[in-house]
Amino acid sequence: MISLRQLTKSFGAQTAVDGLSFEVAAGQIVGFLGPNGAGKTTTLKMLTGMLEPSSGTATVCGFDLRREPIEIKRRVGLVPESGAVFESLTGLEYLEMVASLYGIPGDAALDRIKQFISFFDLGFGTLTDKLLGAYSKGMRRKVVITAALLHNPPVVFFDEPLDGLDANAAVGFKALIQTLAREGKTIVYSSHILDVVERVCDRVIIIDKGKLLVDGRPDELVAAGGAATLEGLFTQLTGGGEIARRAADFARTFRP
Amino acid sequence: MSRPPAAPTERTLRRLFLTLFLRGRTSRGTRKDSAPSSVGSKLLGTLAIYGLMGGLALMFVGQTVFALSVYLHGMTFVFIGMFVAASSGEVLFNKEEADILLHRPVTPRALLRAKVGVLVRVSLWLAGAFNAVGLVVGAFSAGAAVWYPLVHAVSTALEALFCTALVVVVYQLCLRWFGRERLDGVMTTAQVTIAVAVVLSGQLVPRMTRPLQGRPALRADAWWMGLLPPAWFAGFDDALAGSGVAASWLLAAAGLAATGSALWLAFGVLARDYGAGLQTLGESGSLPAERPGRRRLLHGLVQAPPLRWWLRDPVTRASFLLSAAYLARDRDVKLRVYPAIAPLLCMPLVFVLQDATHRSSTSNPGLGLAFAGSFLALVPAFGLSLLRYSQQWQASDLFRAAPLAGPAPLCHGARLASLLFLGLPLIVCLGGLFGVLQGDLSHLVFLLPGAIALPVLALIPCLGGNAVPFSLPGEEAKAASRGLSMFGMMMAAMALSGLVLAARAYGWFWWLIMAESMAALAIRAWLRARVATARWSSME
Repeated sequence: MISLRQLTKSFGAQTAVDGLSFEVAAGQIVGFLGPNGAGKTTTLKMLTGMLEPSSGTATVCGFDLRREPIEIKRRVGLVPESGAVFESLTGLEYLEMVASLYGIPGDAALDRIKQFISFFDLGFGTLTDKLLGAYSKGMRRKVVITAALLHNPPVVFFDEPLDGLDANAAVGFKALIQTLAREGKTIVYSSHILDVVERVCDRVIIIDKGKLLVDGRPDELVAAGGAATLEGLFTQLTGGGEIARRAADFARTFRP
Repeated sequence: MSRPPAAPTERTLRRLFLTLFLRGRTSRGTRKDSAPSSVGSKLLGTLAIYGLMGGLALMFVGQTVFALSVYLHGMTFVFIGMFVAASSGEVLFNKEEADILLHRPVTPRALLRAKVGVLVRVSLWLAGAFNAVGLVVGAFSAGAAVWYPLVHAVSTALEALFCTALVVVVYQLCLRWFGRERLDGVMTTAQVTIAVAVVLSGQLVPRMTRPLQGRPALRADAWWMGLLPPAWFAGFDDALAGSGVAASWLLAAAGLAATGSALWLAFGVLARDYGAGLQTLGESGSLPAERPGRRRLLHGLVQAPPLRWWLRDPVTRASFLLSAAYLARDRDVKLRVYPAIAPLLCMPLVFVLQDATHRSSTSNPGLGLAFAGSFLALVPAFGLSLLRYSQQWQASDLFRAAPLAGPAPLCHGARLASLLFLGLPLIVCLGGLFGVLQGDLSHLVFLLPGAIALPVLALIPCLGGNAVPFSLPGEEAKAASRGLSMFGMMMAAMALSGLVLAARAYGWFWWLIMAESMAALAIRAWLRARVATARWSSME
């Protein structure tokens, strides 16, 4: 469903993504991990047609990223890390606008929106009367997730989707993506909350400095790395081994 | 109730961008019916006042079609050009929009067309309001055809298209020629240049065409008319609904060719560069690192006298550094402040040049300097009022969270930055230019009234603690009303310079200076006391 071949992105002299290659089959939930600045968001932006690769290419749903970006955009959903929305629209106006961009007729869009607000426990009155600028972070995140799934895309990219969601919504969301994957959707899940990734994802890809470090099932990777958890493996691979000692040293500087 | 079928993408985008323009892009309001309608309501107010200003066209009753149209197109060019130049940065290149729209099945060309459609539509509202009286007056102009209103409406629409396409072309050429790394700086420069060119062109055309006695002519000494956009569109009116002389047809042809070329370049040839420009905004990695030399210079300035004495308070110093940094680095702030201030410099420049170059013939030497000084005294206050706006306005919650009794020190820091980086350089440059051109520095004393008023005027935006830097959403500073602020400033500057000239004529100049200095000291003390007692307003 997704295939990267030596995908590279440079910003001037800085290489953010460095020759990344991997494949993702339909129905998989792939955890896409890396420390800050590793190139995760840049990779997701390239795979959704938001950024043009410097070299290499990728296909999504069989369409080439360079030649057919609009076909790809029709078939992917993205929950961006920023959670940006047009704050001066109401939730309903925003979602209807998004539906129009994918050619979803008004009636069908409204039915679909109602299904989502029911799932997310959002009141329809809130959606019609309140401007998005006045929504809480969690409510706004629910709208952004709805906007990503409204057109029923076969491939969905989530960049820190749980940011701002309360515990109940987070549990519901995790169940939702697992069900979506069982129904054949491909899900790429980028997050720093590693225990969630470990529980939800079939497969984990860890990158650092734009390069692929490891790729495999979470339990197999943890076992092969001799770590107790995915978090342990992550810090081991990305140079965070000293972090506990450094944090303790730093905390001591706060002593009166 | 049955809902409509899916709207075509471009119609959806046009509706979206018009809604965003009228409501503003950010909101702290809670409900749709109490949405920040300020932009929309401001726009309505602005349209009403433009309509009233358009009444000045009544002065042209009985004059030729060309004379009336030159005036109408000159002023329309200023309003539309200013609006498009100042609004286009925010409308065309909004950073957050990349995360919302670039992964949707929308082409850059469709985005561009929808945004330009909104700019043209609002431009036409402004132009329509200003030209409403002129349309009627034109029907009664000497030698006018009855279809003048229709012809003028078409030429005004062409002018709006030309202005918008020109700005888009300039941006796209910047993208293509200067690369992504330098895009921010180059775009700001381009926008300031366009704003200055538009104002100069709009202000100067009616003055320059006076010797032609209301008729376009194929004359060697009038070749420059072919270079001025307002003259093209006035020629269009005169060709189709006026004298119909050969020169009018030539000007009309130039206008049509220029508009066609600008549209073709903007939407045909360069549109794909627009997608690259939008991507650039999403590429945080492409932002150039701050040059360490510039940072050292700013911090060096603050550490050295006299700033070290003025900025003893650490909060004032921090606010000064923040304001100075944003004036130097932040694209959004630069695009708002400099293009808005640049046109304010045109009139002082024209007056100073007239003063300096007609020193023997003028009966009022120093008139230009007095006017320029009064005009420039308003610049820091205007700049300070614009420094309140930012796309990152929510970050200013930090100020309220800090243990500060009120916003006074923050306002003072921003005020000092505005005085130092906007007001002072302009006065020095203008005085220097006058000195170089005329060689006689004695007339520079006419800058004094403006210079004395400057620090007092800069305190006015601070009243009530309202000049906290970067604390309001950018949309609230919408550009449509900027032309009106400028008009009000011009009137105030003229009143002050009139006072100076009267004092000079009666031999009271130095008495005026003394009285103004004392009044300035007293008012300044009163204003500072008022600002110091200001407390944080309720955060809605």
